[in-house]
Formats: sequence, C-alpha cells, structure tokens
Amino acid sequence: MLDRIVDDFDDNPAAMTYFYDLFRRIYCQGEPVERKGMQVGTTCIHAPEELIYAFGANPVRLCNGSYHYDQIGADFMPAKSCSLVKATLGMLSSENVIPKVGKLDLIVNPTTCDQKKKASAMMSAMGYAVYNLELPPAKESEAARVYWQRSVREFTNQLRIVTGKKLTKKNLMAAMAKTSRAQVAFRTLHNFRRVAPSLILGKDAFLVTNAYFFDDIERWTASVEALNIELAQREKDGFCAAQKKAPRILFTGSPPIFPNLKLPLVIEEAGGVVVVDETCSANRMLYDMTSVDEWLVNDMVDSLADKYLKPCTCPIFTNNDDRIRRLLDLAKSFAVDGIVYQTFAGCQVYEMEQRSVADALNKAGFCMLAVETDYSPDDMGQLTTRIEAFLESIKSRKRKAA
Amino acid sequence: MNYFAGLDIGSTAIKVALVNQEGDLIGMRVTDSGSLFHKNAKEALRVLLEQHGIAREEVRYLIATGYGRKLFKEADDSISEITANAIGAHEVGRAFGGVRTIINIGGQDSKAIQIDATGSVSNFAMNDKCAAGTGRFLDVAARNLNIDLEELGDYHFNGKGVPLTINSTCTVFAESEIIGLLANSHGKEEIVAGIHYSIAKRTVRLAKRVGIEDRVYFDGGPALNKGLVAALQDELQRELVVPEHPQTTTAFGAAILARNEFLSGNG
Ligand code: SF4
Ligand code: SF4
Repeated sequence: MLDRIVDDFDDNPAAMTYFYDLFRRIYCQGEPVERKGMQVGTTCIHAPEELIYAFGANPVRLCNGSYHYDQIGADFMPAKSCSLVKATLGMLSSENVIPKVGKLDLIVNPTTCDQKKKASAMMSAMGYAVYNLELPPAKESEAARVYWQRSVREFTNQLRIVTGKKLTKKNLMAAMAKTSRAQVAFRTLHNFRRVAPSLILGKDAFLVTNAYFFDDIERWTASVEALNIELAQREKDGFCAAQKKAPRILFTGSPPIFPNLKLPLVIEEAGGVVVVDETCSANRMLYDMTSVDEWLVNDMVDSLADKYLKPCTCPIFTNNDDRIRRLLDLAKSFAVDGIVYQTFAGCQVYEMEQRSVADALNKAGFCMLAVETDYSPDDMGQLTTRIEAFLESIKSRKRKAA
Repeated sequence: MNYFAGLDIGSTAIKVALVNQEGDLIGMRVTDSGSLFHKNAKEALRVLLEQHGIAREEVRYLIATGYGRKLFKEADDSISEITANAIGAHEVGRAFGGVRTIINIGGQDSKAIQIDATGSVSNFAMNDKCAAGTGRFLDVAARNLNIDLEELGDYHFNGKGVPLTINSTCTVFAESEIIGLLANSHGKEEIVAGIHYSIAKRTVRLAKRVGIEDRVYFDGGPALNKGLVAALQDELQRELVVPEHPQTTTAFGAAILARNEFLSGNG
C-alpha cells in the first residue's frame, strides 16, 4: 500500500519523506515507536488527550486499518461487524502489535458506537486494563453536559491512579500548549488545501493525520510545520499537485486509516483530488482547538470536557445536525465538486445518516456518492468503476455548465 | 474512411461496436471473455474489422470500457462502463422518444443509472459485491434446472401455476433452494418465473435508489430474456424500452464517445 501511495505519484512534497519513512519503519519493518513515558491507548477521538499528556503519558490511538488484523479480529466479533473494530481487536490480540508502542498501561474506551462498547469486554479478556469513558448518547442537553463532565473528571482520577502522578495546572497548561501547537500546524495545512489547483493530495494529508495516532507529538508537529513551509513555497511558485480541472472531493464517513486508504487512493488515481475531509481519522480529530481560559484546574478539566462534546460531529449522537452544517460549510468553503461518503459494512450509524446527509447536500446543489466497503481488497474493481463514473459525471456536468 | 470503436471488456463477455463518421452503427460482435480476455478482445476486434473489410488504421479512435478497460493498452482512452452505458442508451433511446433511467444487468453486477435530458449521468447505484440478481444468477439457475439459458424466457410464459417464491438472495443459497423445489416436484416453469420475479424485485429496489423516471431502458445480456423483461415490467408497473441489441449498448456508447472525442479535436 505504501508503495502505491508513494511511487505511483510524481511530485510528492519533499517534506512528506518524513511521513513515508515513518510508516515504512513502523508498519513495514515493525520498528518500535520512540516515545518516553507511559502509553495510554485510546479507541476514539473522544478521549481527551490533553489529560493523558498532562499526566506525563502518551496517548496512542488504537483504531486500526489493517486487513490482516481485520481477519484475525473476525474471531472476536460477528461476521457483519465493522472492519475498524475487528482490526483493532485483531491487532490487540496478536503478539506483534503494530504500531509497536510498547506496553499499554491503560486503554480508554469511550462508550460510543455499540461495537466499540462491546469491544471493551473483549479487550479486558485479552488482559488489558480497560477504562470505559462514559459518553452520553446526546450532546445538546444540560444533563448530557453534566454527565460527560463527571465522566471526564472520573477519568482524570483514573489517570492519577495509573500514573501515580497529580494533575497540576502547570502540567495541564503545558499539555494544552503541546496539542494546540499541533492543531495550529494542522489548521495551516488544512487551509493550504483550499488553494486551487491543489498544492497537496489528499492521500498525503491522510497519512499526515494518521501519523498523529502514534507519533511523538512534538516530532509530528515539527514535521507538519516543515511541510507547511514547503506548501507555502509551492503556492508562491504556482505549483500544481493535481490538474486544474481535477474534481475536488470532500471525503466523509467511516475513517480511512492506514493501510486502508483504498478509497481516497482510488479517487486520486482516477484523477480526482480529496481536498478536505470530515472524518475522525483526520479533520474531526484535529480541527477543534481546545483553548481553555479557566483559572482552577478542576474548572479547566470541565471546560476541556465541553470542548470534546459540543463540536463533535460523530454520528453516534442522537441529533447530529451539526454534521450536516459542517459538511455544507466545508463543501462551500473548499469549493468542492462532489462528496464521497464511505460507510464500513457493518457500521450502522454512518449508514443511517447517509440519506439525510445526501438530501441536505443535494438540496444545496452538491452531488454525493455513497460507497459501502470494508478492508478487503476484493472490491477494488467495483470501487474504481464507481469512482470513475462519479468523476466523469462531475466533469461532464461542469463542461455543460461552462 | 474513418471509423471509431468501443470495446466493452466485461466479466463474462467482450463486446465490440463500430461506428462511422456520422455515428451510425456499422457492426458489432459479442464473444466470451474467457480467461485470456486481453487476447480475446483483440481477436474480437480483428474479426469484426475483417468482416467489414476495414483496416485497423481506419479506426481512428478506440475507447475501452468494462472491467478490463485498463488492461487494454491499445486503446486511446478508457471510460467507466457507467458513463459509456449512459451515452449508448441516450443515443439508442432517441428513437423511442428519449430515456431517463437505465437498468443494466450484467454478468456479475447490476446497475441503475439516471441520466438527464442531455445524456449526462445524474445518479447511479450498483449492487454491492454479490452476484444475486445478476446474469450469473440466471446461469446458475439454468444449470440447476438443466435447461438452456435461451430457453428461460419460454419456460417463464408456459407456467400453469403461480410463480414460486425464491427467498434466497444469495446465489449459493438460491441454488439449494431451487434443488429443494425441484425435489418437491414443483414445475420448472413456475420455478423459472419465480427466479425472474426475484431478480426483478431486487433490481427494482436498486432502481428506486436512483429514482425511476420515464422512459426506462433495459440492457445487458439478460435483457434478451423475455421472461425477465416481463417480470421487470410487472414489478416496475411500466413499459420498458428494450433495444434490439441489449448486450452492446455500452460498447456502442464507448464508440460514440470515441467518435465525439476524435471529431472535437481531443484525439
Ligand atoms: S466514528 Fe465516532 S465513535 Fe467511531 S472512532 Fe470515530 S469519533 Fe469515535
Ligand atoms: S465506523 Fe462505525 S462501527 Fe466502525 S467504529 Fe466508527 S462508528 Fe463504530
């Protein structure tokens, strides 16, 4: 997969070499990830990483994209479950956990979709210390807010027990400074993708955000900043990473996670370019900055909790109009030509939101292609046909409009 | 003379269509894909050209489509079978007063395509990953019933009882269901009709996903099966436009596009 991402494209940014090498070392060669301190696994973006950093530990996102682990994980879950959850379980159950982050001192499992909820007991049965971070099923009500704040406070307590350290204002501030520097770097990258013709392809952007799952945060941030400098130069030089008429695509739905970048890759191999996404492996993970201006450490934790609940556009919430609003906003501000909506076979929540999302986008004049897929490579031919037809229809519509 | 070719390399059959400068269909050919489909595709083109006494150089532009499109390097360009099908159906459909919905049942997949008045694809859907309701399903059924594929249509209309219900949507399970029905001494005719209705129901569900608008064009090899056509019309509650050569609409669309590309100077 990495070869396809790297070698099949000309003009990869030089600063991407860091990320290509990172994935080659960690995934292809199974090298350990260098990070100091305790390791806390997370199974979803809802686990506040600032808290984990504040206790001197490192968060590592366990959501996995490998077909190999997906097959192993099939022993734990019903056949029709989500590849992502199966692959995560498959990875955790095998002796050779890749990415090799070392012993996981704790796994935080936010109680989100049903499959993740149920995966919790299976991870415990494998011998992991699992902490269920209780997430409310809705996000607007005051009751939900209070409930979630209490969950996060209890999680803080758990981290104190596991790490044997205390949460101080200073540590938390330092942790937030770290993540917000990362978010600033991400936002800058995000904004460069507005430029048309594109300066960078979506497959590279996904790789960058994927690295955030396990890389040392400071090294990651510095590498993204280097990439941003290169993109600024590209913009000045009038460089094009994609053809001027390449259809600009907004990618949403179940998250692409390396090595399962097949759908974004198919789009770009067929001549489209993914200019922005609304997924929890990229944009949704890094977009919202947690600027907290409370004075007392407990209030800081509460307002951190708020920042994790309110802006999240995950489909597990009862009402999720925010997601539609966000998609419309991204579609307009990135001048996209179409939206590709990925649903992993077995993921109910994404499939159920598909229709209302399509309706809203169509009404606003955008066309959307919904694709159900999983981690197996079997459907590559079919996917290519669908994506090509979708891009062809966008192009012919544009030609006629012109 | 200038000619333009469309080559549709599908999973079960290879279809070639040839048009002239005016876009009129000059000839076509359908052969099995076989395992060496690249070789077979070249051969199909060669034979077709020979039949019409046309030299390869006279074919100014060739567009490949279908699953094997990328592997046919001799083509000038390639296009997805969905777009090619839309172009072909739009052209053929003119004679019927224009078509807006296309139902295509192929060897291993089925599609529903919605096109606008200009022939551009506005929406489409494909069956996911499974041979249920495709040509393959008919092959398996015919084999189990020990009748020829071409005879399915006759059996459909000769039934005395009501069509039986085939519940299994999966080809593999449907196979055992058919064997079970035979063992219970149900008539082949009723089973055949049941199979047609089961495919028709699935296909209509697929078509509803893209929206059904008049007129509805039905193509692909299975459109030659009159029984299936009747079942589909029943389920849709509408008349279908079935072209004279349902297998080659997509190849024809690719040929038309080849001609247009060449004449507009893109070649
Ligand atoms: S889809 Fe939602 S619940 Fe699942 S990992 Fe992403 S944010 Fe978490
Ligand atoms: S894709 Fe769906 S089923 Fe899979 S982890 Fe995310 S929300 Fe759960």
